[in-house]
Formats: sequence, C-alpha cells, structure tokens
Amino acid sequence: MSIFRLALKSIQSRKATFLLTFISIALSVMLLLSVQVIKKEASSGFMQTVSGTDLIIGPKSSQIELLLYSVFHIGSPTTLMEYKSYEKIQSNKKVKWAIPISLGDSHKGYKVVATNENFFKHYSFANGKKVEFRQGKVFEDMFHVVLGYEVAKKLNYKLGDNIVLSHGDAEVSFIHHEELPFKVAGILKPTHTPVDKTLIITLHAMKAVHNDSHGHFMLRPKKSQQHDEHHEDEEHHDDEHDENHNKEHDDHEEKEHNDEHTNSSTKTFKENLSHKVAKRLKILPEKISTVYVGMDSKSAIFSLQRKINNNTQEPLSAIIPALAVQDLWNFFEIVQTTLNIISILVVFIGLLGMLSLILMGVQNRRKEMAILRSIGATPFDIGKLIVGEAAIVCGISITLGVVFLYVALFIVSQPLYDMYGFYLQIQPLSLQEFAILALIECCAILISFIPAYQIYKQSLIDGMNTQT
Amino acid sequence: MIELNNMQFSWKETLILNIEHLQIEANEKVFIQGVSGSGKSTLLNLMAGVITAEKGKVIINNNDLKAMKSAQRDSFRANHIGFIFQQFNLIPYLNLIENIILPCKFSLLRKEKALKHSKSLEEEAIRLLGNLGINSSAILKRGVSELSIGQQQRVAIARALIGSPEIIIADEPTSALDSEHKASFVKMLFDECEKQNITLVFVSHDESLKNHFHRTIKLSSINSVKSEEVE
Repeated sequence: MSIFRLALKSIQSRKATFLLTFISIALSVMLLLSVQVIKKEASSGFMQTVSGTDLIIGPKSSQIELLLYSVFHIGSPTTLMEYKSYEKIQSNKKVKWAIPISLGDSHKGYKVVATNENFFKHYSFANGKKVEFRQGKVFEDMFHVVLGYEVAKKLNYKLGDNIVLSHGDAEVSFIHHEELPFKVAGILKPTHTPVDKTLIITLHAMKAVHNDSHGHFMLRPKKSQQHDEHHEDEEHHDDEHDENHNKEHDDHEEKEHNDEHTNSSTKTFKENLSHKVAKRLKILPEKISTVYVGMDSKSAIFSLQRKINNNTQEPLSAIIPALAVQDLWNFFEIVQTTLNIISILVVFIGLLGMLSLILMGVQNRRKEMAILRSIGATPFDIGKLIVGEAAIVCGISITLGVVFLYVALFIVSQPLYDMYGFYLQIQPLSLQEFAILALIECCAILISFIPAYQIYKQSLIDGMNTQT
Repeated sequence: MIELNNMQFSWKETLILNIEHLQIEANEKVFIQGVSGSGKSTLLNLMAGVITAEKGKVIINNNDLKAMKSAQRDSFRANHIGFIFQQFNLIPYLNLIENIILPCKFSLLRKEKALKHSKSLEEEAIRLLGNLGINSSAILKRGVSELSIGQQQRVAIARALIGSPEIIIADEPTSALDSEHKASFVKMLFDECEKQNITLVFVSHDESLKNHFHRTIKLSSINSVKSEEVE
C-alpha cells in the first residue's frame, strides 16, 4: 500500500509528462469500447424492431433489400405486390395477422406508411410491445394521420393540425398532394424504431391522394406533372371518377374558397370537397409494398415462407426478419472486426508510449532508488513501484477513456438518431466490456515488468551508489 | 556496535576493500576519512547490508548480515540504520514531511518509536525539524526542490533520526555545503545523535571536520588495498 502511494505521488508529480499517454490510451480505450457499444446497440435495435414479426412478404427481391426498405425504410422498393395477395395471405388459416404496408410518400423528409387498423392491433416491437398513443387515437376518418413520436416532436405538430404529404421520398419534393391534406388524429409514444419517424395513414387515403395528384378530381388545374408509376392505373380510375363528375362541379365555387385557405399554409385541418369525394369513392389500392405477417405457430413460418417463395401466381419473397437481420450482421461483422483490430492496435501503441516513458525514467531515477534502498526498500519494492506506476497510468487512462466514451455517446446519440434513425441507448458497461478494460490493465502491468525488472537489477547492482 | 572482520569485497574481480578488523562501539561517533575513490561508499553499502562481502563478516548489533537473506537485510536496515547522502537526499515528488516520515513506512519498529515522542508521525517530523532549526510553517509547505541545499540536508538528518535508529551513516553529507554551514551541520547532527544515543558513522574526505568526533579512522590505514589500485 505504501509503495502504491509512492507510485501515485510519483505519477502525480509527472502528470504533464504523462498527459499525452493518458490521452492516447484513453482515446484508444474509447474507440475500442465504442465499437462494442455501437455493435451491441445496433444489433439490439435492429432485432427489437423486427422482434414481433414472423414473416415479411414483398415483391421478389433479395432478403436484405426487402428487409431494409420494408422495416427500416432504407432505399425504396422497385416493384410492388398485389393487394389481392395480401388478402390471400390474410385468409391463410395459419396466419394470425397480416399488416399491409404501402410506402412511397413522404412529408418533409419523413416516410409515410399507409396501412390499415391491423398495424395498431398487431404490429409489435421490442419483444411484444405494441405501439401506444401519446395523444389522440387510431384514425377514424380516411384522412386522419397518426404521427410517429419523432415527427410530431421535430415538426411541432399537434392534434388537429393540417398536413400535406409529398410524392416520393426525397427531402425536397416538387409534387405535393395539396388537394388532400390530412388531419393529425394521433401521436404515438416513442418506440425507438423507425415507426418514430413515420406518418401513418390509411391505404384508402394513400390511393386517393395518388388519384388526385393526377388531377382526376379536376377541381383546379394541376401544376404538378403526372407520375409514371400511376400512369397505368389511369384508365381504370377515370371511369370511376366520371360518375362523380357532376357533383364535383356543383361544389366548385365553394371549393375554390377552401383552396385559398389550404394554400396559405393553414395549420388547422378543414375538410374540403376533395375529401368528401374521395371518401365517397373509398377505393382500395391494387398494389402495396409489403406485408408483415404474424403466425399462429413458429413451425408454420417455414412452410408458409416456402409456399410464398415458390408461388407461381405472383413473384413474391417471404423473409424471416430475425434471420435476415442476422445475415445483415454477418456482413457488418467484417467491418466490426476491422475496427476491433484497429482499436486494439491503437491501445497497444498507447501502452508502448507509456512503456517508453517509464523506461526513460528508469535511468534518471537512480538517485531516488538509492534513497529508497537506504531507508529499507527491497529491490522488489522498487520493482513494485514501477509496476504500480504503470498500473496507475493505465488505470487513469482507462477511466478517462470511459468518461470520453460516455461524453461522446451523449453528444453523438441525438444526431445519430436524427440522421440515421439509429437509437443509441446509453447503458452502463457490460461485464464483457469490463473484462476488456481489465485485460488492458493487465497488459499494462505485464509490459511494465520490463522496466521493473530493469530497475530491480539496477538497484541490486547500484545499491546506494549512484556515482557510477 | 559495528564489527568488520577479515572482510573482503571485490567489484568486477578487482579487490576494492580488504579490512582485517574494524570495530565501532555503540554510541561512538566515528569519522572515517578517505579520498574519493578509496571505497568509502562501498564500505557504507557493506555496513548497511545493501551489498555483502564475499569473505569475512559484517556484524551489526550482534547480527551477522551475511547470515541474513537479502530481504531480511533490507528490513534490518530499515529498522536500525538511518542514512544521509551527499546531496539530493529527498524524493522529489514527496513533500518535506512525507520525506521525513518515509522510513516509518518501511519499518514498524521506527514508526512505533517515533510515536512514543509525538502523537502522529507528522508531528514527530515537525518536532525533529524544529530541533534542527526549521520552524517556519512557510517552509513546511514548500516543495522539496524549493529548499536550499542546507535546508535539504537538515531535512535529511530529520529523516535519518526519525524513529531513533541505533546507527546513522552519513556519506559526505557536507560536501555540497559551504564551510560556514558545514560546521553547524556537523554540530547539529552530532548533538542529535548524542541526545538519542545513536552511533554515528560519518564519512568524508574533508579532514577539517574530524575535530568534532571521538575518533578518526583513515580508510587507507585500515584497508590493505591501496586506492591507486582501485582506480
């Protein structure tokens, strides 16, 4: 203990010299730990998001592609699947529930998910949690929208607010569905999944806004251009709209008044004629992006997956999200291993820096060692002093590194979430991480045996002589 | 009591010391005079048990140093011998008080003895410094490197004295001091040893200091190896 105190004082007197060592080891420790933390958080975040879904079904594509766009809203589907297929899947006896999902629209950079009430009933995440409402409730009206926690918070929306969706998923879209604004009916509690960053609308409404964007309701001249994706449907809808044409015309004047209102960026929702028309039509889409499926039994998952993948009527893919996420991680493993190797090397370099500082000290401290010998310190004590110094330097550095880590996590977690939707939960260090830190400390102590042995030998030979 | 009998010591196969007999009685204050390079420091290392002679015996207070294991010798030294060096006696990263009480960290015996005089080791250190003429609390707060050499050497005496070891060995403690301080330093050391019945072995090349001591031994007269041969 006494030797340890001496070592502490000795380091304290040389803290300026050791400052760079402290910082370099601390930074390397931070790097090493952050690789672990990010890996852990990312994999648990991904797993949690898909934990409640047994199968994800979409148009024929690779499993990672389907997983990324359907669950994480990364990238966009190139093809769509038939709504009829959804109905077929839902009618399957072994299917407990099925949620249709249609993607493609956005609002100020946030994705719009069109679905039905099944989403609120059945979608679960983080081992069985259901989405919960912070304010409001599930849409009762076709043009109601439910906002993810993040969307409402960032864009400062309240219940009853008016929202205009945009076509496509670019941050800046030139096609706005101005004709058919939505009313905020509910705001969800945070889920720490991509749901937080989405706006949820009904499938009917999704269909309606797209019909309208072609100017089918003809309530005023459209500025925006037609969109290829929906072109093929055009003929079909025209028939439907013709029947309503007269009614639309009658209400024209009233509508123009409303339009002015809408365009001058109103905050409160007011139902306009287009809404009424669309509601009367209430058409379901022919195409959707994907279907989330929950099964009655785990054993049925594989047989349904096989059945869908071999389906001849429509080329579809069914993936088991938990396995797909695993695949994704296997891919990231390479990146993680590389980062691990780099950070281990950096730790090693830091420790070598410490070693060289201590070795340099050995020669300059012969007088000090002679004094210690004279008052009864054994050469072994003097060796212990050096080991103690290394242990202290490394210990302080590790502590500093952990502090750096948490400061960095704290700073980076919000931007990371904002930019990538990656929710970094700040947790205490795990046992495994403590083991890593202990290992680093052990390495420091182990390499300090080199100077310790040197000084041990030196003090055996020198005794109390320092003049040699 | 220190006794050396037929002691020989070689360094790198060269005989440095060959002392047939040297005896220093308890409470004696002995001045050992020798030119530099005559093996003075080696002799002191042998007396303190830091190194051992290959032949002959070193007996201190009836204990044969050679019969002990090296760790035993180290702890024997901690318990019974105080040391004062030529210069830079103090550990730079410890403060004045910490430097003085350091021997008590290695020797329980000296710690107990020190606590007989004062309530705490710190108090004892301050008391010893007071006896040596360092009273000002301003000095106590100073870093070791901020002290003058004269002050540093007095702190070194306090460290050697703490816990009243039976023997104090001083190795050229005055060589860094000017003549005025030299005399007062020797007197101070001498008086303190007298008070506590400590055997003092004072080694120096400086003959002018010998008047203070009971006995003067010329190293060249007891060492049969001549210093020319050593160098």
